[in-house]
Amino acid sequence: MECKIEVNHKTLKVQEGESLLSALRQHGFKIPTMCHMNRFSPTGACRLCVVEVEGKSDLITSCSFPVEAGMKVQTNSQRVIKARKSLVELLLSDHPDDCLYCQRNGHCELQWLAAEMNVKERKYFAGKQKDNPDYSSTSVARDPAKCVLCSRCVRICEEVQRVTAIDFISRGTRTKVNSAFHKGLNVSSCIHCGQCIQVCPTAALTDISHLEKVNAALGNKKKQVMFVISPAAIVSVTELIQSKSKNKVRARLTAALKRLGASKVFDSGTAADIHVMEEARQLAELIRSKDKKDLPLISSCCPSWIRYAEGFKPQLTQHIAKVKSPGHIAGSLIKLNYAREHDVAMEDIYTVSVTPCVAKKYEASWEENTHKGVSEVDAVLTVRELFLLLRSFGLNLEQIEEEEMDAPYNHSSAAAIKLGYSGGKAESVAQELFNIMGGSKKEAFRFMQPKSITSKRETKVKIGKTQVGFAWVSSIAEAEDYLNELGESKRDDIHYIEVMACLGGCAGGGGQPISRGFEQPKARKKISVEMEKKAAWQKASGNTMAADLFERFSFRQNEIWEDPF
Amino acid sequence: MTVELEHIFKVYPNSKREDLIPMLQAIQDEQGYLTEEVIHEVGKYLDISVNKIYGVATFYDNFRFGPVGRYHFRLCHGTACHVAGASTLQKELQKLLKINAGETDKNGLFSLEVVSCIGACGLAPLIEVNEEYYTNITLESLKALVDKIREKENDVL
Repeated sequence: MECKIEVNHKTLKVQEGESLLSALRQHGFKIPTMCHMNRFSPTGACRLCVVEVEGKSDLITSCSFPVEAGMKVQTNSQRVIKARKSLVELLLSDHPDDCLYCQRNGHCELQWLAAEMNVKERKYFAGKQKDNPDYSSTSVARDPAKCVLCSRCVRICEEVQRVTAIDFISRGTRTKVNSAFHKGLNVSSCIHCGQCIQVCPTAALTDISHLEKVNAALGNKKKQVMFVISPAAIVSVTELIQSKSKNKVRARLTAALKRLGASKVFDSGTAADIHVMEEARQLAELIRSKDKKDLPLISSCCPSWIRYAEGFKPQLTQHIAKVKSPGHIAGSLIKLNYAREHDVAMEDIYTVSVTPCVAKKYEASWEENTHKGVSEVDAVLTVRELFLLLRSFGLNLEQIEEEEMDAPYNHSSAAAIKLGYSGGKAESVAQELFNIMGGSKKEAFRFMQPKSITSKRETKVKIGKTQVGFAWVSSIAEAEDYLNELGESKRDDIHYIEVMACLGGCAGGGGQPISRGFEQPKARKKISVEMEKKAAWQKASGNTMAADLFERFSFRQNEIWEDPF
Repeated sequence: MTVELEHIFKVYPNSKREDLIPMLQAIQDEQGYLTEEVIHEVGKYLDISVNKIYGVATFYDNFRFGPVGRYHFRLCHGTACHVAGASTLQKELQKLLKINAGETDKNGLFSLEVVSCIGACGLAPLIEVNEEYYTNITLESLKALVDKIREKENDVL
């Protein structure tokens, strides 16, 4: 119900019952927050959103206070401003003063708040925090000294990913965010999705950086450094490019990486096409099989999802497609096929995968992805790291000539680009299945894409005489709920389920540039769709290079190495 | 399962979230402290993340993660005892026992726990050692108490 309230002596129309914070923000009032996250229930932990309400003796936290008709609110009275400044000063009381050396320097919410509140000196001294940083994980680094206990990581890990790898330990001034028994993240239930990095306001959570490794390889004359860029990474780079000519980002990125000293720049789209073809082939096999006990087939491209399934739902692992992820198909193609064809020793090739994913750093350490101790992917750069790398070399993507990607892996079909967002992969696989199972030629392939990127959807595709059910979910909470629901209802009309661990799929990946809120995946999907329109082929098997490789080799998980090229 | 917990699980057949704390208490009463293994088993039974349980258990001072000594000192630090000098007593006791609050010494003789009100404020300050209460403690009587225990233990040894 609409009602009127008075804010800073102005009358506003707002919805009764919604939180005061969201009402104020909708009307353009700037209210600082730290612990607040859209779509999550408020906790009122940081208290930065305090406002003065007439008739209340204390300041109230606007995030956790519902709008009441006729209330009179002051958002920037002396008292409010003073309280907020003190709060920031208290947050800084045990924060290290090493901004200069901090990964988040310039992108830190605490730094912004301190500047906004005109904090000029350390007013309170609470002493240094003694907890050691945790670099035990292959993908996520924790530095408790920089933690402000806002609880955003704890909440996303528990509520969106249902993993609870980190939680509040102890009480009062001794409270820390830590993994169970103060052991490292490497032995926790962490699924390496990196969503905690995305929501962390400071540098308490960062990715395990591969920048130095890559720099060392670039400086090593023996090594041929080959970059493999995923289409999703190109989408995120495109999003951040300011100038209008966004269509040449691939070529400009290629040119920039060549200037760094890359010997080759490939597109992982070819590998993604192969991945889609193999999943579709396995799906067709299952649909044609007699007992159909392994249906539905669950997608296998997301390492976080696989880690979750192995750790939490081992009974589901038999349903997961046995295909390497696109990144590792690309890695093995380069290290075996390309190396052999071009007579280069495998050890002399250094593959760098560029993706919006943190979990790929973890995936690169899997035993099945290494061969005689050599990983198929030597280093994984997140999109954030890619920008840091380019910046340190003084390269600006806005002003650089264009260069074509290197043959033979230089193309991706629209199907490969679709792997970047939730629902897209299901469509690619459906299209390929349509191709394999030979739907009658009169019928056109139709696939209804979801309207909202974060919503769980299903669709049916008529292939020949069969109705094939496709479903897609993003985030572990959605996946778990959906799979439970499916199991309980004993439905058998869903044949393929695409699971992506991050909200909105890779478009909301843990390795994306840090953004607040959950709106970015939507924007990135839009860019993807634009890119798809320009792709040379629509379906995965249209990519002639990919189709040829698919014919020649087996890409089932664990098989590629045994099968000599 | 190497730890036998079935009989405790039986008391909580519905395996609800709210059974967590009573279960942990029952386990600690029986086994003296909580181990990683126990927390994993409770987590499996209640379907709660191990980290969540560890978070809850570390929130309360009453839960321990290591064994107590043969002489477990519980120093009351409620309001009345605080006013009566519990802080000074704590410092003295730490010196006498050569351990900090919350610790157990290496040979497993002493352990020290600081607890909130034991409920005998009229007799403040007080200490409980292996469920025996020593009231109106002074620095002298505290030293005498510890000396007596050491002497007795040396005799045994």
